Amino acid sequence: MSITTSRTSEELVERYLQAVRFWLPKSERQNDLIAELGEDLRSQIEDKEAELGRSLDQEEVAAILKRCGAPMVVGSRLGPSRSLIGPALYPTYQFVLKMVLFWILVPVFIFIVGPVNLANAAGNWGAAILNTIGSLWSGLFIAAGILTLVFAIVERTQVHVGACQWDPFKLPPVQKPQRKTSFSQTFCELVFNVFGLVWLLLVPEHLWMLLGPAAAFLKPAPLWHAVYVPIVLLAIVNILRPAVILGRPQWTWFPLTTQLVQSGFTLVLLNFMINAASQPVSGGWYPFLTLADSVKNSPHFIRIAAVVNVSLLISLAGTWLGVCIGGVVQTWQLLRLIRKQISVGRQAASLPVR
Amino acid sequence: MTNGTNSATEVLENLKLELRRGCLIVAVLAQLRTEQYGYTLRKALADDGLAIDEGTLYPLLRRLETQGLLVSQWREEDKRNKRFYRLSATGEQILEQLLAEWQSINASLSKILQEA
Repeated sequence: MSITTSRTSEELVERYLQAVRFWLPKSERQNDLIAELGEDLRSQIEDKEAELGRSLDQEEVAAILKRCGAPMVVGSRLGPSRSLIGPALYPTYQFVLKMVLFWILVPVFIFIVGPVNLANAAGNWGAAILNTIGSLWSGLFIAAGILTLVFAIVERTQVHVGACQWDPFKLPPVQKPQRKTSFSQTFCELVFNVFGLVWLLLVPEHLWMLLGPAAAFLKPAPLWHAVYVPIVLLAIVNILRPAVILGRPQWTWFPLTTQLVQSGFTLVLLNFMINAASQPVSGGWYPFLTLADSVKNSPHFIRIAAVVNVSLLISLAGTWLGVCIGGVVQTWQLLRLIRKQISVGRQAASLPVR
Repeated sequence: MTNGTNSATEVLENLKLELRRGCLIVAVLAQLRTEQYGYTLRKALADDGLAIDEGTLYPLLRRLETQGLLVSQWREEDKRNKRFYRLSATGEQILEQLLAEWQSINASLSKILQEA
């Protein structure tokens, strides 16, 4: 009886150890841990038997195993504790994920994939929107999956690029509450704006630089002749502004004031364009881009031109809203700056003269 | 209200766990000044009021061994193979320093509590 009980108890322990082993990574360490856990369990059973003066029945052995914990839980505790992406990499992972999903993928779908799908929808706009949303959804999942996989591999291989190599002297300077324009940011702004102006000057002669392959069947509407010069002027101001900021960084009032003036000018320009586009017209509605003569009777190209014009109008309306919000923020910042400078001036005036 | 109580209990459990974690290492190292195998070590700790489950003790022993604080050896005793652990020479030095640190923390804490 005693031998049979002992056998069944041993079998129960072996079954338990086998179940725990399943949850441990296969290695020399696994055998070691299982052997040690087995020895611990057998010692517990032996101790209990010595205490009771008899062999334990299956229920009592099962109680010891239950107290030890579910095989999966015990396996996870005994095994190497490793997170998919550890705390050292997680902030970088989170940053890259946000950048890729919300600052790259979503804008690409809104401004490129969406309009292309709409243009090729042949009137079935609902299906085109659903198709775009579906593609965006799966794109987000795939991108998030790939990024997670890449970071998990980096975590596993322990390639913490630059995680431990840092220099306190290379940390970014403390951001002061007072607005201070960074040199590199202003310089980049200047360079980009120069490129922007060059591009703007080249566009009338090289329409493909604006429209890409669509330049073969689309051409700018007369509205552009009216707004082209103001846009070029705005682009020139966009170059002068960072140049002055670089030359006269002590003019703390200059960046905000010119930004506000620019916003006002941009708003006037946008208003004019939106108003012009909203005027009732006879014939086709092509406020921004019209069809080339060779395709102006093709229903397919008429549909594409309509979609592109609507997209442009929506984009302009969105920009108008953005510039309005920006203008409010800039006004508030400018008022705060003026108030601060007045208060600094008063404090300086109240200081005793030595 | 119940949620608040649950949350407080959870916070307390987590804090107790954190508090125990460091103490357990010192306790294990101190117990292993004399050679023992896993089960007897667990029993000794439990008898002294520091119960520790298998899933916590064995990985801890592995880690301390990898860090060079313990040495282990599989040996047969009572017709069964058992893994015996004891403190290494480095482990002894570290334990001394840890105990000094613990006593310093304890003294500081007592002083803070008295002041409060």
